[in-house]
Order: sequence, then structure tokens, then C-alpha cells
Amino acid sequence: MSDNVYSTICPGCNFGCGLYIRENGSLGVDFRKSSPANAGKLCRFGMSLPKFFAPAKSMIDGVETPMEEAAKESAKRISDSKGSAAFLSLGNTSNEELLAFQKIAESYLCTGVNFEALPKDTYQTISIGIPYSEIEAAKHIVLFIDPYEQYPLIVRRLLSAKNKGAKITSVWWKDLTLADENIRPDDISKLALTQDSIIIADFHPLSDTEQVKNVLSLAKNAGAKVTFLKPFANSTGEYIISKDAKQKSLAQLIEDINKGTIKTLFALESDISALIPSDTLSKLKNLIIQAGQASSAKANIVIAHEPLYMKKGTLINNEGRVQALGGSGTKGLDALGIIAGSKFDFNTLHESIKKTIGITVVDEFTIPKYDRPAYGAIQAAPKPVEKKPALIDVYNPFIWFNLADDNDFVELNLNTARALKLLKGGTLKIKSNGSALEKKFKVAPVQDNVLLTGKSLGIEKGIITPVEISR
Amino acid sequence: MQKGEMYVGWSTKDDVRKRGGSGGLVTSMLAAALDKKLVDAVVVLKKINEFEAVPIITSDINEVLNSAGSLHSVPSHFAKLIANRNLKVALPAKGCDVRGIIEQGKRNAINMENTFIVGLNCGGSMHPVVTREMLEVMYKIKPEDVHGEEIEKGKLIFKTKDGKENAITIDELEEKGYGRRESCRYCTIKIPTNSDIACGNWGVTGDLVGKATFVEINSEKGARLLQNAVDAGYIQVQKPDEKGVAMRTKIKGVMEGLGQKWKDKIFVPMDNRLEYFRKELEHCIDCGACKAVCPTCSCGDVSKCTEYHFRSDAYKMSMYHLVRFLHLGDACIGCGQCSDVCPVDIPLTRLYRRFANPIQLELKYEPGMDTRKPPYFEVKLNE
Ligand SMILES: Cc1cc2nc3c(=O)[nH]c(=O)nc-3n(C[C@H](O)[C@H](O)[C@H](O)COP(=O)(O)OP(=O)(O)OC[C@H]3O[C@@H](n4cnc5c(N)ncnc54)[C@H](O)[C@@H]3O)c2cc1C
Ligand code: SF4
Ligand code: SF4
Ligand code: SF4
Ligand code: SF4
Repeated sequence: MSDNVYSTICPGCNFGCGLYIRENGSLGVDFRKSSPANAGKLCRFGMSLPKFFAPAKSMIDGVETPMEEAAKESAKRISDSKGSAAFLSLGNTSNEELLAFQKIAESYLCTGVNFEALPKDTYQTISIGIPYSEIEAAKHIVLFIDPYEQYPLIVRRLLSAKNKGAKITSVWWKDLTLADENIRPDDISKLALTQDSIIIADFHPLSDTEQVKNVLSLAKNAGAKVTFLKPFANSTGEYIISKDAKQKSLAQLIEDINKGTIKTLFALESDISALIPSDTLSKLKNLIIQAGQASSAKANIVIAHEPLYMKKGTLINNEGRVQALGGSGTKGLDALGIIAGSKFDFNTLHESIKKTIGITVVDEFTIPKYDRPAYGAIQAAPKPVEKKPALIDVYNPFIWFNLADDNDFVELNLNTARALKLLKGGTLKIKSNGSALEKKFKVAPVQDNVLLTGKSLGIEKGIITPVEISR
Repeated sequence: MQKGEMYVGWSTKDDVRKRGGSGGLVTSMLAAALDKKLVDAVVVLKKINEFEAVPIITSDINEVLNSAGSLHSVPSHFAKLIANRNLKVALPAKGCDVRGIIEQGKRNAINMENTFIVGLNCGGSMHPVVTREMLEVMYKIKPEDVHGEEIEKGKLIFKTKDGKENAITIDELEEKGYGRRESCRYCTIKIPTNSDIACGNWGVTGDLVGKATFVEINSEKGARLLQNAVDAGYIQVQKPDEKGVAMRTKIKGVMEGLGQKWKDKIFVPMDNRLEYFRKELEHCIDCGACKAVCPTCSCGDVSKCTEYHFRSDAYKMSMYHLVRFLHLGDACIGCGQCSDVCPVDIPLTRLYRRFANPIQLELKYEPGMDTRKPPYFEVKLNE
């Protein structure tokens, strides 16, 4: 008898939290206290990983099949689709797999994010964040995120900075407990930055490009530092690897599927149901999903292999820290090899990754030195927020990965509750574009007329959705 | 061999004796228990480096023999690892591990008859991330260059690969926020007399220092473990000298006194406790890690602290925390695990002990020290 214990990295976001997954009949999470990014600590999502890692089965048109057959059939359908195939990876897998994937995806690579709409010289700044130790040492921190909900392991770094005297300013729709100053996004003109400020924002497939430009421009004008947190286990690795590749945005992909120019979509370790509307997905002739755990989207072909914690390879976290995945599995690469028509060699890919980053060994305790080039002046035209009731989705790992949680409620403030004469313990009606639903609510220090949700309610149009609300 | 007897002993396998924390007796005793089928499995730490090791449950004797050595920067806990698995198992256990196992036993999650607990004396453990930083800031050495460590005369000594020894007093380290975890500073179980057999280097004298372990048999199971290892040729033992026995008692007393001093320093009486607790808990993100890791909690997914708690509640202090403070009043063993894992660094053990100290004093009950039924189990509502 011997338990299988894997030392791995949490796939819930790009923070890089180390942990152990223990297999003994069922899955368990153990704390890896020596992990440099998180000291073994995990957020609510990290604690839910046994639920996340629900096993997947390889399928062709609903019939269970060996993985190799599913990969072969995928290769055939991709080749038959003659130029109407797109390849999507959000960055939830190893650098080595992503590098192999890129070779397959040359014709139409979608990383989900929209680098095309951003100045080229900001690519590096957006891709690679700054070390958490620098955040802890900052004098002034400006948050364009809700750290508690979205990237919880940053909270202790912020508190540590605060203990050392840092001032924390939050630009958000809700007052944050740890902030010394709370500014609403509409009042951004009140934000005062200096060279000593560090801005923390995030970057992902649903980011508003003008807002990203605005943040970059604020930092540029003040000489402040800026770091972007990201929601996928290896977002940073994916962006580094794809730097010179032509990338399509998620919006472009959705448009191309709707137009009918893309008929086959191959998604690598990416749960697309949170990102692509189901009526768009239904227009595809072939949806092929390659993944290590069950996905909620209905695919024509599922290529299922070992989950991330069993894989061999490396990830790069928000700080640029290169971390080894503890497993030995290369089935994901095998499947990609079948699709590419030639086998991929792990070691060759691994060496190539190290070369790209400029390291000779993978050492999670040393952050490699990256170029941090300055970027030019940026014109940003952020949309003014309409003064109407709005539902705002606070994207967190549970939304990105479509995992159930105790999050079926919206947050609103006391003014709003009183104006609508809401009853304690009761519900609130939310209407948008003909859809209506009723939700429980929680009173919190949120901006007037704003509803915040940590769960996708299914009526949203992007992150901010104008709504009508009533009792 | 029987309860109450003391010995000094060591492994008969040279390499195990060398690698062992002090003589490799514990490792060899565990291996012998597996070999002679006293147990089906053994828990050991699989070492990754000086600052990381993973607890594993194994039936592989070689894996057990490879595990020799004390890792002071690995604050693991074994009670929950073996709970609800119905194992016939032997395991090494620091005082807090023993207490957690006994409390799980009271909650029917561990069968004590089938559990052989090899207690380890414990002066404290350190958090690996804190240790790494301490090495760089205080010792000015790279963690990767560390080749071993020991505690001598109140100093924490790190040996580096170049053969040098670097010593700083524990007092100075702890003054600067390094050193042992806070819970270890005021932990009062230095020799685990609640285990089946208590092992440690205190009381080993003369030429045997560093090469043997002092053991005290606390139960019939402990006697069987030791006798089995002697009979199987895994260890060798002799009677301790009187000087050693006296020294061990003395150090224990000194350490307990030090623990009490820390307790007095940390738990100063305060006004407005409610406000203090609220403030300390204000950053809680509801991850549930403090419950998952708590070695005296044996509730599964369905438990009062979670069933009455909803994230949509807007109470100033959540039902989760209120229920846990209540439930841990008679059960908290002060192991420090909750503080270790809290993602927002809430000093949870300090908060739980604020509740538990007066309750346990009033009830004259120390959880995990013996098999006495928890007082809360005996509360009858209609009396
Ligand atoms: C954190 C710690 C603090 C200690 N402090 C003291 C002290 O102050 N005074 C004293 O007399 N003795 C102390 N000891 C005990 C002492 O260091 C030796 O472990 C003991 O004498 C047995 O030696 P050995 O060579 O027979 O053990 P070994 O043969 O080396 O076997 C040690 C066993 O302990 C396990 N182990 C190692 N590290 C840990 C850990 N962190 N948690 C749980 N299990 C672990 C290993 O897996 C192995 O099974 C401490 C031990 C630990 C782990
Ligand atoms: S912060 Fe991100 S990486 Fe860390 S445990 Fe949470 S989801 Fe996982
Ligand atoms: S709590 Fe006590 S027994 Fe546990 S590691 Fe700390 S000092 Fe040792
Ligand atoms: S409350 Fe904390 S210190 Fe007390 S027993 Fe549980 S984990 Fe240990
Ligand atoms: S570990 Fe910390 S953050 Fe998590 S539930 Fe407990 S107190 Fe809250």
C-alpha cells in the first residue's frame, strides 16, 4: 500500500499556488507549505479541486473510445475541414503542450485574449507580471480587481504591504475591507498616482481593451508600475510562447463561427462554455475538446487524458516564476502528436522552453530575469459607465471553470435595497433583454444601483450588463 | 519490557543510524513493526529537501527505512491522514500529532487498538517559507546550501555544505519574528507521554549523543513495538544512566516553563474581545481550509459550522466561525495547523486558544492528553 501523492500547481488561476493532490480511492488536497507563491495556502477554489478534477472520457459522437482513436478521428476531421478549423487554448496546460499546440494551430490560433487591439510594445508588460515580493514592498498599491473574490492569494501580500506602511487604493464597485481609499470606477479622475505606485489589474478574454489601455496609460503617465493578474494556470507561459505568433481574439473567433468561416473548433484544456455562447457553439460542425477533466460543453469529440496534476512539464505564474508540474504523464503531448501527424518529444520541447525564457534549470525559488521594456504613450477611450442599474460579473475561478459553489446571490447596497423595498431574506427581480430572473441578495458596501455577482447568471452581455431591477 | 520502563537505543543498520535524527531507532522500530506484521502500514515523511517532505502511508519497508531523520521545517500533521481509513498502522508523532490522533479516536474516526503511536519529543517546528527567509535574512546563507541542522544550548545551528556551522540563539530569531511557529512557542507537550512510546534525544549522554534515542514506554502497545524491534534485530537498547534520566526531566521542566512564559506574553487579557475577533476575521475568504486541516474536527462535509453558514449571509461574524469557536472550546489542541493554512494569514490558533484556554482550564480538561470523554459530549440540555 502506498498513496499516490502528486506535487502540483493549482489550475484555478495564474497565481501559481503549489499543493499536493493525494489519491486514495478519492482525491484529496494537501497543503504544500514550502511552495514559494502561496506558502501552501489555498483559496476556496483550490480547496475545491477534488470536485474540479472530475474524470473525463474520450468520445467520438457520444460513443466512448480509446484516446488514440479520438485523436485520430480529430486529425481526420480537422484535415477534412480544409482551412475552416480554429484552435483555441486559454493557457490551462504546460508550456511544453502549448508549444506543441502552437505548431498545430498556426493557421488559426486563438489564445482568447485580444493582443491585436493593444499596442505591440505593451505585450511584455501585460504578459509578465511583477514578483509578489515587490508588491509586498510597495508604498502605494492601486487595485483594479476585487482581490478577495478574484485572486484571493494576493490578499495576504497586500496585507503584508499594508503592515509595512503601504497605502491601498481600490478602484472598484464595492468598498474593499483592506483598502485605505475606495474610489468608484466612474470617479477614476480622483485617482492620484506617483512613481511609488503599483497598479494591480487583470487581463483575460473578456477584458475591455479600452480599460486595459487606460490602466497602461495611467501607469505610464505617473511612472508607476503595473502588473496584470490572469485567470488561467499558465496564461503567462502561453503569452510568452505565443509572442511572435499571429493571435485571434475570442470576439473574432465568435464572429468567424457565426459567419460560418470557422466550422471546426479544437479547444485544448479550455472550458469554453463560460466564454462562447451556446447558440454560437451550435453552429459548429465539429467541436473537439482535449482535456484532463470533464468539461461542461457538448463536444463531438472528446480527447481525454490525465489531469494537470499528473502531467510532466512546466508552468509560468503571474510573477514569471517557472514551476515544474510534479507528474510524469505525457498523454496530452501524445494526442497532440497524433493530430500533428508526427510525435512530439517532451525533452526537445522542454529545452526549447528553457531557451526562450533564458534559464538552464527549473528552479521555483528563483524568478528568471525578464526584459521589462518601456512602452510609448497610449490613447485610451474608456467608455463612461451609464448611470443605470447594472449587473457586473466578478469573474473568479468558479465562473471561469463553471464549477458549482455557494454563490447564487447578488450583492447590492442598502440604498438600493431600500429604494426597491426589498425584504430581508427575500429576493430581487432582475430583467435584461427580455430575460428575467429572481435572485437572493446580500447587502454589501456596493455602489448605488450596481449588482455584483460571483456566478454567471446566464443573462449577461459581457462583464457589465444594463438591467432593470425590482422587488 | 513494560509500561514505565526507559531505555536508550539505536538502529542496528548503520546507514539508518547515521541518517536518523538521533540513532535511527524510530525508523527501525517502524520498519520492524511492518516487517513482523504488527501493522499493515506505516506513516512516514518522504523527504524532498531540508524544507519539504510529504507524509505518505506505505507498506514498503524500504520507503520506511529511507525516511530516517528529523525535519524541523516540516510542520505536517498526521491525524487526519489516517482518520476514517480503518488502518492497522504505526506512525511517528509529535505531541500535537498524538493529541490529534487521540481526539479522532474519541470521535470514532481512528481505532486506537490498531494504531501504534511512536511519540517524538518536540521543542517546536518551523514554517518552511519562514525558515527560508530566515536563512537569507538572519544567517545570510542560501537555503540550498543547508546540509543539516540542530539545536544546542538554545541556539539553532545550520550546517552548510562547505562544512561550516552557523548559530543564532532561538530567542533572537523569535524576537525578529522567525524561528518556531507561534503555537509551538507556547505548546506545553514537550515529551508525549500520551503516545505509546515517547522518543527523543533529551537524556542521551556521553558518546551516544546524536547516535541514540531515549525512549519511555507509555503503554502495552509501546512495549510490544519496542520488544518486536529488538527481537527482530532492528534495534539495540540499554538502560539509560541516572544522569540522563535527570537531565531529561530537567530540560522538560525548563521547556514547559518557557512555553508558559510565551503563553502569558501572547494571551494578555483584553477588553472588547468581540471587536478584536471581528477585526481579526474581517479578511476571511471562506475557503474552509481551517476546518479541513483541524485535527480534532471529525465532521465530514456535513457539519454544523458549514450547514448554518451561507456566503449570502451578511453577519458581522459568520456562523462558520461562531460555531467553530464554540466547538473547539474543549477540543482545540493548539497545533497551529489552522494558522499555517489560512490564505489571508489570520492568526487563527491564537483566536481559538483565546476561547479554549479559559474553557479548558475551567473544565480541567486537556484534549488529546488522555482518553477522557470531551466535556461537551456530556452536556445534557434538560438538566
Ligand atoms: C519537529 C521536531 C522537533 C523535535 N524536537 C525535539 C526536542 O526538542 N527534544 C528531543 O529530545 N527530541 C526532539 N525531536 C525528536 C528527535 O529529533 C528525534 O526524532 C528522536 O530522537 C528520534 O530519533 P531517531 O533517530 O530514532 O528517529 P528517526 O529514525 O530519524 O525517525 C524520525 C521519524 O520522524 C519522522 N519525522 C521527521 N520529521 C518529522 C516532522 N516534522 N513531523 C513528524 N514526523 C517527522 C520521520 O518520518 C521518521 O519516521 C524532535 C523531532 C521533530 C520531528
Ligand atoms: S489563488 Fe488561484 S492558484 Fe491559488 S488556490 Fe486560488 S485559484 Fe488556485
Ligand atoms: S505544536 Fe507542539 S508538538 Fe506540535 S510541532 Fe509545535 S511544539 Fe511540536
Ligand atoms: S483550531 Fe487550529 S490549533 Fe486548534 S486544533 Fe484545530 S487546527 Fe489545531
Ligand atoms: S482558513 Fe482563513 S480564510 Fe479560510 S475559512 Fe478559515 S479563517 Fe477564513
